Amino acid sequence: MPAPRERLAVRLTVNGGPVERVVEARRSLADFLREDLGLTGTHVGCEHGVCGACTVLVDGRSVRSCLLFAAQLEGASVTTIEGLTPAEGLSTLQEAFRACHAMQCGFCTPGMIVTTTELLADQSAPSTEEIREAISGNLCMCTGYVNIVRAVEQAAAGRAAASGASA
Amino acid sequence: MPGGWVGRPLPLKEDGRLVAGRGRFVDDLGRPRLLHAAMLRSPHAHARIVAIETREAETLPGVFAVLTGAEAAARSGPVRPLIPTTAVVPDYCLAVDRVRHVGEPVAAVAAVDRATSEDALERIRVEYAPLPVVVDPELAIRPGAPLLYPELGTNVVWHDTLTYGDVDAAMGRADGVLRERFAIQRYASTPLETFGGIAEYDPGTDVFEFWTNDQRPGLTISILAASLGVPQSRVRLSCPDIGGAFGNKRRPAYLLICALLARKTGRPVKWIEDRLENLTALMHACNGIMDVELAYRGDGTVLALSVRDIADEGKNLITPTQHNLIKLGNIANGYRIPAIRYEAWSVLTNKCPSGANRGIGKPFMCFAIERAMALLARRLGLDPAELRLRNYVTADQMPYTTPPGAQYDSGDYPATLRLALERFDYAGRRDEQARARREDWLLGIGIATSVEPAGTNLASYEIITGKRAASGSAEAAMVRMEPDGHVRVALGDPPSGQGYETVVAQIVADELGLDPEAVTVARGFDSTTTPWLYLSGNYSNKFSVTDVGAVVGAAARVREKLLRLAAHRLEVAVADLELGGGAVAVRGAPDRRLSFAELARTAYADVLGLPPGEEPGLESRHAHQNPLAKPVDAERRVRSQLVFSNAAHCCLVEVDRRTGLVRILKYVVVHDCGRELNPLIVEGMVHGATAHGIGAALLEEFRYDDQGQLLTSTFVDYLKPTAMDVPLIEVGRLEHPSPVTPLGAKGVGEGGAIPGPAAVANAVEDALAPLGVVIRSLPITPERVWRWLSRGADSASPAR
Repeated sequence: MPAPRERLAVRLTVNGGPVERVVEARRSLADFLREDLGLTGTHVGCEHGVCGACTVLVDGRSVRSCLLFAAQLEGASVTTIEGLTPAEGLSTLQEAFRACHAMQCGFCTPGMIVTTTELLADQSAPSTEEIREAISGNLCMCTGYVNIVRAVEQAAAGRAAASGASA
Repeated sequence: MPGGWVGRPLPLKEDGRLVAGRGRFVDDLGRPRLLHAAMLRSPHAHARIVAIETREAETLPGVFAVLTGAEAAARSGPVRPLIPTTAVVPDYCLAVDRVRHVGEPVAAVAAVDRATSEDALERIRVEYAPLPVVVDPELAIRPGAPLLYPELGTNVVWHDTLTYGDVDAAMGRADGVLRERFAIQRYASTPLETFGGIAEYDPGTDVFEFWTNDQRPGLTISILAASLGVPQSRVRLSCPDIGGAFGNKRRPAYLLICALLARKTGRPVKWIEDRLENLTALMHACNGIMDVELAYRGDGTVLALSVRDIADEGKNLITPTQHNLIKLGNIANGYRIPAIRYEAWSVLTNKCPSGANRGIGKPFMCFAIERAMALLARRLGLDPAELRLRNYVTADQMPYTTPPGAQYDSGDYPATLRLALERFDYAGRRDEQARARREDWLLGIGIATSVEPAGTNLASYEIITGKRAASGSAEAAMVRMEPDGHVRVALGDPPSGQGYETVVAQIVADELGLDPEAVTVARGFDSTTTPWLYLSGNYSNKFSVTDVGAVVGAAARVREKLLRLAAHRLEVAVADLELGGGAVAVRGAPDRRLSFAELARTAYADVLGLPPGEEPGLESRHAHQNPLAKPVDAERRVRSQLVFSNAAHCCLVEVDRRTGLVRILKYVVVHDCGRELNPLIVEGMVHGATAHGIGAALLEEFRYDDQGQLLTSTFVDYLKPTAMDVPLIEVGRLEHPSPVTPLGAKGVGEGGAIPGPAAVANAVEDALAPLGVVIRSLPITPERVWRWLSRGADSASPAR
C-alpha cells in the first residue's frame, strides 16, 4: 500500500476528456475534482460518506467522491455535474428541478442531480417510493425533499411523454 | 400595482445556476498564494492548558505559521459578544489558558494545503490538566458546581422572574392547575455547507479583506475590526452564495483566526470547517428544561401560565440569554392568557456553545405549551382542537398585545386551525383511528399550532442588562437604474437559500413598472458596494419586516425621480404621468412617452437636460426601520420580535409495535404569513422548516456523556431526516396581510420548525394513549418507544 504522501500517477476520463495527473495517494476524488481540476460543482458536505453532496458517476454508477482516492480511478470514467449540464441550457432533469424549485441553498443540488440521473437511467418510470429511496443517501437541509421528489417525478413523466410522442 | 409581479410563483433566477453546479460558495473561491488552515481542538470538556509545544509543527515542510491562544491574545482583542450581555469576560478567538468544551480550538496552522496543516496538528503537543466537568444545567446552578469562568463567580448568566398580571390569584381561583416538566435536547439545523472563510491582509494599507459565509456581516465587521484593532473602514467583507445558514453561521472568532494567520504569513488564508468540527463546536440550539403550570377553568379556558425555564447555553458568552428572551416573546403562543410568569435561567456548562438555530427557543416554547394543551385536553375530556379554539386570540381582537408585550398584528388563528382540520380530514382520521384501535393498530393524531414572529428588536436585551446597548430592527438596500434603463439592486442581507435575486426583482419590477428580467439583484454581499447597517444580515426571519421596506423605499425614490425627469422633458405635471412597461407616459396619451432608457440617458449622460437642482444619476439608497420596535416599558414589557405569522400542523402517525418505529402517514400544514411575495419560495420554506421540526422530534440529538464527551459527532450517529423520513408535507394557506409591513408580508422561514416537534410528539402520544404514555422529551427514537411498549402503561417518559 502506498504511503499517504506518496505521489502516484493517474490517468482517467473526466466528463469525456482525458486527464493525466500526479496526485498524493491520500488525495480524495472530491478534492482532486475540486482543487486539481477546478470542477467546483461537486460539493463536500460531510467527508464521511453520509450526506451525498459529493456524489459523482464513476463508469455510470453513483459514488461518493469523498470516499474514493483519486489514485484509485486509473482508467475510470468520471462524470460530474459539469458533465451532466449541456453546453447551453439545462438538461430535462435540471429543468424539472428549476420548475419545481427543488432546491433552496443549492448546495446538495449537484449531488441530487447526479443521483437521480442514475435513477432515471436505470428506471424509466420510478414510483414515488423508489425516488425517495434513491435519494435517501443524499441529505438536503432546506427543502424537506418534497419538491425534489416532485421534480424527479416530473422529469420521468416528461421523458415518458416525449418517448411516447416519438414512438 | 402595474405588472402584479409580487405574489406570483415565479421560478427562481438563482436556481438556474445552482442546478448546474454553478453556485459560487466560499470553498469555491481561491486567491493567489492561498494557504489553508486547520484547527487543533480540545479533547477535554474542561481543562487547564499547562503548556503548548509547537516547534515540531512549525518546522514541517509546507507549514507557514502556527498560532496559539497566547499569541492570539497578544495580537488581537477579545471577541465581542453578538448581543448585549452582562456576562462580559475577555474571551479570545483561541482558548488561552483553559478549555471549556470538547472541540474548542486551542491552536491553528496555516500550510500549503489542508492535508499538510492537519499533518502539522499531529505534531503540536498540548499538556492539559483536566478540571471537574459540569454538563447538567441543573447541577451547574448549584453552589459548589465547577465554574467555567471563576471570575464570574457563577455559571448563571441570567436568572430573573418576570411577572405580568396576577398569576397567583389566577392559580388560586382556577378549577385546576396542570403541572408538567418538559425537556428539549440539543440539536441544530446543520447547513449542508459548513462554516468557513478566507482572510487576506495588505500591510501597505492595513486593510483586512474577508470572504465568508457568515450570515450577519454587519455585526461581524464591527467585531472583527474591534478585535484586530483597525478602523471598520479597513475591514472589507464579502459573502458569496451561502449553502444554508439557519442561524448557525455566525462565528467571527474563526474569521479572526484566519486574519491573524494571514497577517502573520503575509498570505491569504482559507479555513473551511469539516463536519466533525461543525457538529462538535460550531453551535447547537440550547437544550433545556421547562416546568410549566397552566391554570384553567373547567371549560378549558386558560387563566394563567407560569414557566420556569432553564436554558443550557454550553460555553456561550457571545449569545447567552437569547433563547430565554425569545421564548418570553413567544410564550403565549397565540392564546389569550391574561396572566403570565416567566422564570428564566441562562446557564453555562461544558458543552458546545449554543447559538441561533431556526426558531431560537421557540420550538421548545411551543413544544411545552402545545404538549400542555394536549395533556389538558385529555384531562378535561375535550377534543384538542376544541380546547385550542376556546383559547385563541381571535381576528376581531387584532392587534392583540400579550402580557409580556408581544403584538400579534393580524391573522385569524381559529380559521387557520379549522382549515388545517378540513385539509387533514380530521373527523375522518378520528374514525380511522377508532377502527385501528379495535384492530390493535397504533395510529395517532397530533395537532400543534403556533405563532411565528419575524424581525428582531435588540432593545429587548435591556430587560437583562438594564441599559440600552443597541435597539431596533433595520436593513438597507440600493436600487440603481443603469444608463441603459436596466436596474441593479443590492441588499444588506446575504441570502442563504431564500431566493432574494428573484423575489426582490419582483418587488422592484412592481414598484418601477418593468419586467423582473430587467432587474438584476446582486448576489451575496460586499461591504464596499452593498449598503449595510450594524443590523444587516440574514437572520431573525427579518426579510418581510425590514428588507422589503428597504427595497420598496429605494425603488420608490428612483420612481419619483423618473417621474420628475419625465415631467420636465414632457412639460407636464408629475400627477399627469404614469409608469409601466419600462416607460413613463402621459396619462390618457400613451404616445407621449419616454422609455426608462431615454430617461436614464438623461440622468447620466445628458445632465444639462435635468430639471434645475436635480442631482445626476438614478440611484437611491434606503434603510427601513420597522416602526414596531420600541424600548422596554416600565412594566418590563417589550416586543423582542415584531410581526407574527401563524400556523397549524396536523399529523397522523403509525407506531410499529415490534420495532418502536414511528412513521408519519400524513402531514398537513396550514399557515398564514400575510401576503406571499412568491408562493413558490414560501411553500419551499414551509416544507424545509417542517422537516427540521420532524428531525428534532424523531431523530436528532447531540448527546453528551457525563464527562462532556459528545457521543453523536458524525452524521452516522447524529441522524438527519432523509427522504425516507420526511413525508409529503401538504401545505394550505391563508393570507391576512400585516398592517405594519410595506407589502403586508410576514415571516415564513422558521414557522414549520416551531410547531413541528410538538405536532409529532402529540401524535405519538395519541397513538400510545391506550398505554398511558406521557411524552416529556425528544427525540422519540424507536428504542424509547419500544421500551414504552414493552413496559406498558406505567412507562411515562421522564423529562431529562
